[in-house]
Amino acid sequence: MANARALDKRRKSIKNIRKITRTMELIATARFKQAMDRASAATAYTNRVTGLVANLANTGMQLSHPLLESRDNPRTSLQLVLTSNRGLCGGYNGNVLRMASDNQQQLSDEYPTSLLEVSGKRGVTYFENRQTALAEAFLQFEDKPKYEEVERIADRYLDAYATGIIDRLDVCYTKFSSIARQEATVETLLPLGTLVDDPSDLATGSEGQGEIEFLPSAESILQEVVPMSFKVKLFKCFLDAAVSEQVARMVAMKSATENADELIRELSMTYNRARQGQITGELLEVMGGVEALKN
Amino acid sequence: MATATETGKNIGHITQVIGSTFDVEFSETHLPAIYNAVKIQSSHKGISISLSGEVQQHLGGGRVRCVALGSTDGMMRGQECIDTGAPVSVPVGEATLGRVFNLNGEPVDGRGPVEAQEHWPIHRPAPPVSELSTSTELFETGIKVIDLLTPFVRGGKAGLFGGAGLGKTVILTELIARIASSHGGYSVFAGVGERTREGTDLWLEMQETEIGQTGRKVIEQTCMVFGQMNEPPGARLRVALSALTMAEYFRDTTGKDTLLFVDNIFRFSQAGSEVSALLGRMPSAVGYQPTLATEMGALQERIASTDKGAITSVQAVYVPADDPTDPAPATAFGQLDAFLYLERSISEKGIYPAVDPLASSSRILDPQYVGERHYRIARRVQTILQRYRELQDIIAILGVDELSEEDRQVVHRARRIERFLSQPFLVAEVFTGKPGEITPLEDTIRSFEEICDGKWDHLPEQAFMYVGPVEQAEEQAKKMEANA
Repeated sequence: MANARALDKRRKSIKNIRKITRTMELIATARFKQAMDRASAATAYTNRVTGLVANLANTGMQLSHPLLESRDNPRTSLQLVLTSNRGLCGGYNGNVLRMASDNQQQLSDEYPTSLLEVSGKRGVTYFENRQTALAEAFLQFEDKPKYEEVERIADRYLDAYATGIIDRLDVCYTKFSSIARQEATVETLLPLGTLVDDPSDLATGSEGQGEIEFLPSAESILQEVVPMSFKVKLFKCFLDAAVSEQVARMVAMKSATENADELIRELSMTYNRARQGQITGELLEVMGGVEALKN
Repeated sequence: MATATETGKNIGHITQVIGSTFDVEFSETHLPAIYNAVKIQSSHKGISISLSGEVQQHLGGGRVRCVALGSTDGMMRGQECIDTGAPVSVPVGEATLGRVFNLNGEPVDGRGPVEAQEHWPIHRPAPPVSELSTSTELFETGIKVIDLLTPFVRGGKAGLFGGAGLGKTVILTELIARIASSHGGYSVFAGVGERTREGTDLWLEMQETEIGQTGRKVIEQTCMVFGQMNEPPGARLRVALSALTMAEYFRDTTGKDTLLFVDNIFRFSQAGSEVSALLGRMPSAVGYQPTLATEMGALQERIASTDKGAITSVQAVYVPADDPTDPAPATAFGQLDAFLYLERSISEKGIYPAVDPLASSSRILDPQYVGERHYRIARRVQTILQRYRELQDIIAILGVDELSEEDRQVVHRARRIERFLSQPFLVAEVFTGKPGEITPLEDTIRSFEEICDGKWDHLPEQAFMYVGPVEQAEEQAKKMEANA
């Protein structure tokens, strides 16, 4: 039977950890709601843009834009990894980083140079530990990524792509599908490939009110809409990552609190038994002493 | 009443029998000395009794209180009791080799009487300070966890501490198989209050095992003394001394290295506590006898290496209720050079020997004795395991994902080291189907160094179970892959 005092000390420290995890759980729940609202608001905008693009596609004209075409002789790839600044969110960062590492390995096999940019302290320290050089690190994105800030990054990427500094852009982030499902995914944002991801988007976009007339021309609209589509997609990645982070934290903290409860219960039981044993032992000693003195 | 007869025999009469102690009244002028053996030999109404006892106290008025060294069944007041005039003596010397004795030095193996030249009393003083040997040398066992973390001392004392069913006896038997079979000197085995079956197993096994390539059996160099569970407390209290006396003789007269195995020294303390209250002593902490430390000290101090010869001893120590702070194991603990603590949580993981690498220690795990490299690697292994243990609560609550990169690596290696500390045993071959592994110290050190350096991080944890040097882990990993 272990020392009762040591058990009590351990139980206290676990109780403190439990306090922290419980608080984190509540905070994450509140933040998740906000992040979720922002994400769904952005989804409306994204859908609209997709709808517009779908309409363009419907005009039947030849869609061609430098951002859409893959290059023949690619030399440089860039991967952007979205992780969180804070920990205590279960496997959230681990999953993204594992996928990012694998993808980076593949990219460096395919491309002579492969750059890496990371958002979030967790990812930065991860790659620092592995002695992987980072082209850029962002720490400013918390649970509410601002469009202006994402746009600045997006502009930089567009420039770099246009001038041929990079030939491919991958984003590795956690895609949010539902509260119960978030997945680490890698998406290739540049070249954009097709404007319309899948036919279902086209269908929703095209339940239009007949023909739309583009002025001054479909061409010029295309020049506008392709870069915008890229920015919106990138922004969506950041939003998804933010929502997923909060969900992951919520779930992780909930199970951590439960684990702590379990441990506390077990420790309390052992502690009580140890304490009782100690008392019984001492009583026996006193009584034994009295008995022995009687003779 | 009590009379010294014409033959010079000092005869007394029993006045009281309390459990395994009894009082005898002698003439006041012929009181037997403390520790003298007294004998009762009588036949009354068809019940014959042959029993010896040991004088423990002088009660005044010619009465002495004795501990019975056998069963007191059938004893009566008024029976005659003869003072032998000397403590219990046991036969010593070459004649004892290959034989099995009880605490009185009587052979119990049914092979006829022992023709010993000499008999020595079992109560003897410990060797004086001036004669104690001071050399310190590592004693290699070929068991990885022992050689690395708790190196044994040649001529020193090692203890195996553990609760019920953790494999103390198995490790002890293993050590006998490893050491005695390659050892040139004599071995003495003391079975104190353990299962009789285990004693028989050991005896039979020793008759089969050969010493190296000499063609001679281990039993020819060994004598065994048993006072097992079924014996009354007096027997269990003194049997360790009988065995020790035989070992002392080998040390003092032949000068050869002598091995003394004791299973289980806790039973010695326990037997002492059983008779203590009957002798009228007030119980001390946790109900043990107040003389616990004295008794243990008197025994342990005699197990020593002198300038005449060395006794290397390995003792199993039962830890009641897995509580190492219990007075009995705690008293034994202070006497030992190397100290192995067997831990239940490790045996529950199926890792044998279930040695707790953090609670176990050795006096000579010191760069001065084992060398800088050995010391450094042993400490590194302990640091990694210590960190892992600290992290365990966090892992239990938050999960392994929350750990930092360095901590995750520590956990990764600690789990491999933990498993690598297991080892197949020679004596367990029939159960595990794996041949025993004797790992040279150099291989052990190198293997652990490489694991700490991360050279084997890629192997699955399971590959580290029950192998010798780390190369075997690699082989096992390949085999596992092939089977998968």
